[in-house]
Amino acid sequence: MASVSIDHVSKTYGSGSSAVRALEDVDLSIEDGEFFVVLGPSGAGKTTLLKSVAGLVEVEAGDVRIDGTSMEGVEPYHRNVAMAFESYALYPQKTVFDNLASPLRSGRTGRYSAEQQRQRIEAVTTTLGIDHLLKRFPRELSNGQRQRVALGRVLVRPADVYLLDEPLSHLDAKLRAAMRAELKQLGEMSRTTSLYVTHDYQEALALGDRIAVLRSGRVVQVGTPEQIWREPVDTFVAKALGQPEINLFEVEASGDRLRGAGGALELPAPAHLELPGGRARVGVRPRDLALGAPGGADALHLRGRVVLAERLGRLMEFSVRVGGQDGGEDVIVVADSDAGAREGELVDLHLPLTNVHVFAAGPAGEETVRLGGAAR
Amino acid sequence: MLRERGPEVALARELTPGQKRVTPASVVADLAILAWFVFSLFPLVWMVLLALKNDADQTSTYFRFSPTTANFGTVLSQRGQDLTSVDFGQAMLTSVLNCAGAVLVSLVVGIPAAYAAGRWKFKGSEDLMFQMLSFRFAPELMVIVPLFVIYNTLGVFDTKLGMVWVLQLVTMPLVVWILRSYFQDLSPELEQAALLDGYTRRRAFLTVALPLVRPGIAAAALLAFIFAWNNYLFPLILTDSAATTVTVAVTKYLGGGGQAYYNLTAAAALLGALPPLVLALTIQRYLVRGLSFGAVKA
Repeated sequence: MASVSIDHVSKTYGSGSSAVRALEDVDLSIEDGEFFVVLGPSGAGKTTLLKSVAGLVEVEAGDVRIDGTSMEGVEPYHRNVAMAFESYALYPQKTVFDNLASPLRSGRTGRYSAEQQRQRIEAVTTTLGIDHLLKRFPRELSNGQRQRVALGRVLVRPADVYLLDEPLSHLDAKLRAAMRAELKQLGEMSRTTSLYVTHDYQEALALGDRIAVLRSGRVVQVGTPEQIWREPVDTFVAKALGQPEINLFEVEASGDRLRGAGGALELPAPAHLELPGGRARVGVRPRDLALGAPGGADALHLRGRVVLAERLGRLMEFSVRVGGQDGGEDVIVVADSDAGAREGELVDLHLPLTNVHVFAAGPAGEETVRLGGAAR
Repeated sequence: MLRERGPEVALARELTPGQKRVTPASVVADLAILAWFVFSLFPLVWMVLLALKNDADQTSTYFRFSPTTANFGTVLSQRGQDLTSVDFGQAMLTSVLNCAGAVLVSLVVGIPAAYAAGRWKFKGSEDLMFQMLSFRFAPELMVIVPLFVIYNTLGVFDTKLGMVWVLQLVTMPLVVWILRSYFQDLSPELEQAALLDGYTRRRAFLTVALPLVRPGIAAAALLAFIFAWNNYLFPLILTDSAATTVTVAVTKYLGGGGQAYYNLTAAAALLGALPPLVLALTIQRYLVRGLSFGAVKA
């Protein structure tokens, strides 16, 4: 158990014109016993970040400290960290049992008798549901099983820090949900400082004590799941979280109202926010929108025609075209299936201002910062 | 009743596994392959026939053939030694020792070299690899005279040590180049996992990487052995009698001024081909993979 601090770490792969900036001035501090999630799209530098903590890549600037001790020049086998690789990295010539026994036999994670090794491996494989596979070789396993063996090789040993690189990505949907629920309750996990990398926002929100959102090697935002969800620092973070993606509209002030989508969208101008040039972007999450009768004056209103209604079980996903022919935009709404809207119908949409995010205006395709909520 | 063959019948025929449609092109291709086999195997057949002929038949312009195995006995006997002043059995043993020594040296030095070259890019690593390969560009004839002088000066002329030393020049580039591609095919994350399991770099190499390239090592070693075994020029110039090898011993039957014993030459050559043949058959499975230079992943 230990705290981890990543101090202004930068890493570039290659050199010259082919150089790729993988990490740029990443500064994170993870507390002892914390379950810290790094969320980002592929290529954001997540794996590089884990490997710099593990000592598997040499950082060119900055330092990693584990439990306050600088890791500069410390070999990976002296850092007492365990890592589950996204590629599994199981030893092909060894059985599942021997793969799991490997960290216990190195002598650097403690001394274990053969009996103790067996007990530890049995305990962890039973939890992961792979106890019937101990005699198999990795090539005889499915990807989901391999991934669990890779996770088992981490959990089977004590370590200061667990580094988990997309450990659930290759499981099928049901198993992933089950494992996600189980992962946090594992004793080893709850006691050990863990750095967990994923591109799945649901995993991040469900598991993380705190989340760091990574984009092109830079940390965009760090916060609790609640903070990240409620107050995304910019449109990138807002879009990274939530499925379907958040709806964004360009709006312009006219009087004390903000209007957008050809007049189909309107809300009271937030007096507590400074809108440069009277222009802004508002973000509305599909789940927050409600179909039906217009709300009060202090709500956001939208009016449009349903162009597509998809049933997702209990819920339905509606695509609503707002703003008519000129400058029409599609809004995605997820609502109860008994909302009663049909394709081709005109519907009213509204939501309380507390759920409306206001971002700075900017050119199309460019991410802009969040100014605040539409309500104070 | 005969049914007309529809296109679906032809399709079904094509899809039957292991069956091939006979077309003019395929017939030509088959004939070409046959011709190539005859061409390439004929010298071998000729040699086997020659090795089985007696002294009277060997130079006859008519094909007279009353097979005898006496030639093999002659090569290995005192008479063979009297004819050539070389103990053929001793030459065989010397060859085995020379080649095994050269392969051993190449493996001990070459495996770590291949691993380093496959895993890390360092300043001049590519140049180093190219340099090693370039040993094989120049004909051996170009370096043989200076080598002869050096060997005489150093006192390793006509010694097994000298032969191991020079044959290692032949085998080392082969071993390094083959094994490098094997190591490159291995995911570095396997060794990284071992490092995090608490193993040092040396142990990660020995317990994770090395066992996984075992087929590559077998193939490289075999190829290196064959190349060393067949080398003729180095032992011809750099040995006299104490460290002379099979390749040189065989040619002695062609007579230097005396009578040429073609049948004994053929018999000796066949005997001399046995050790690499036996070795090749033992690890044939790995040989084919080794020739593909690690391109095919396990």
